[in-house]
Amino acid sequence: MTPDFLFQIANPLAMAGWVVLILAPRRWAALGHVPRTAVPLLLAALYSALVLAHFFTAEGGYDSLANVALLFETPEVLLAGWVHYLAFDLMIGALMADRMDRAGVARVLQAPVLVTIFLFGPMGVLVALATEGVVRLLPARSEALA
Amino acid sequence: MTPLVLSRDLPAARAPSLLWSLTAVAAALTLLALVWAPFDPRLIDGTPVWAKPLKFAVSFVALFATLALVEDRLSLRWRNGLILRGTTTVMGTAMVLEMGYMIYQAARAEASHFNFSTPFHEIMYVSVMGTGAVLLVLGIAVFGVAVARDRDAALTPGLRSGVTWGFVLSCVLTLVVAGTMSTSTGHYVGTPVLDTRLPFVGWSAEVGDLRPAHFLSLHAMQALPLLGLLLDRAGSARPGRTVALAGAGYAALTLAVFAQALMGLPLIRL
Repeated sequence: MTPDFLFQIANPLAMAGWVVLILAPRRWAALGHVPRTAVPLLLAALYSALVLAHFFTAEGGYDSLANVALLFETPEVLLAGWVHYLAFDLMIGALMADRMDRAGVARVLQAPVLVTIFLFGPMGVLVALATEGVVRLLPARSEALA
Repeated sequence: MTPLVLSRDLPAARAPSLLWSLTAVAAALTLLALVWAPFDPRLIDGTPVWAKPLKFAVSFVALFATLALVEDRLSLRWRNGLILRGTTTVMGTAMVLEMGYMIYQAARAEASHFNFSTPFHEIMYVSVMGTGAVLLVLGIAVFGVAVARDRDAALTPGLRSGVTWGFVLSCVLTLVVAGTMSTSTGHYVGTPVLDTRLPFVGWSAEVGDLRPAHFLSLHAMQALPLLGLLLDRAGSARPGRTVALAGAGYAALTLAVFAQALMGLPLIRL
């Protein structure tokens, strides 16, 4: 199981979670566990295994940017870092989707925001939280006018 | 679904309309452009790369907030009707694609409009930026007509005239001004030498610039409804007539600014 091989597995796994999160109807609650539970658990397992097996023997550390770069020169640790991204971005994506659901943001509009989280995690989080914030600041819709 | 409750649930009745959600996304993109600004000194044709996404995001906030305010006052039959829901979906899609491509191009320090450098850029300029913009502008007129036809709308007479005139004029004038702009090679008429510009908006203070007329044409949709609202508040007897006259005047002003630019003259020479 080379790092390249595991990389080729981890990517479509995360992708499957994103497709379900963005496209699947929310009323199929069981399907909701794919991006929220199943895929993050599998990625967490892979991450844990990689870190335990390789992190402590790899060169580098967290104390300087140069040391972080050195750390990522070990392919298994680099892969672990990538899997960390995949797992956390998906989990945060699911969290943001749930928050936007509760604020009443339409699914069709959630889609581009979630795609932004998928591609550029924190940038998408900024857009998602700001969108939700503005929506929550809006005055109540007065149905009385109808 | 999630055991984490980080935010208060909004009851279904308070769910925002799609137009308000689009306003919120445009506001979020405004914030994105603002946090981008201090970190990126790159220029496209002498303008900071983030300036255009910022200006467009702010415009989209104004556009969708105006439409949302109006839609909230329509009867349920019109609000939930296929015409307005379809129009909103098309406009929302156009905004997301326009802003997405604009931000992507700006991050690559490349132009989004007037970019014919590769087949990809040309297709994106013509189909996404061009068609998207036309659909957005036509959508404004659809709302204007809906307001005129919805007898049960909760709109006072002046406001109703202002919205109808403002929205339809916005559409027609923008199609004329932006249509002309899109058939030329850029928004300048003439070649800037010193490149002096007006602050913030960045319009040329040296040669003709089609953007001031574009700005005026788009904002008829705020100016005339505001006038109608003020007339109603002041108890005007015939607000419709005043709004129509003001609309004609506004159109004349826009066309004058447009003609000035076409003659190669700046709005204000600095």
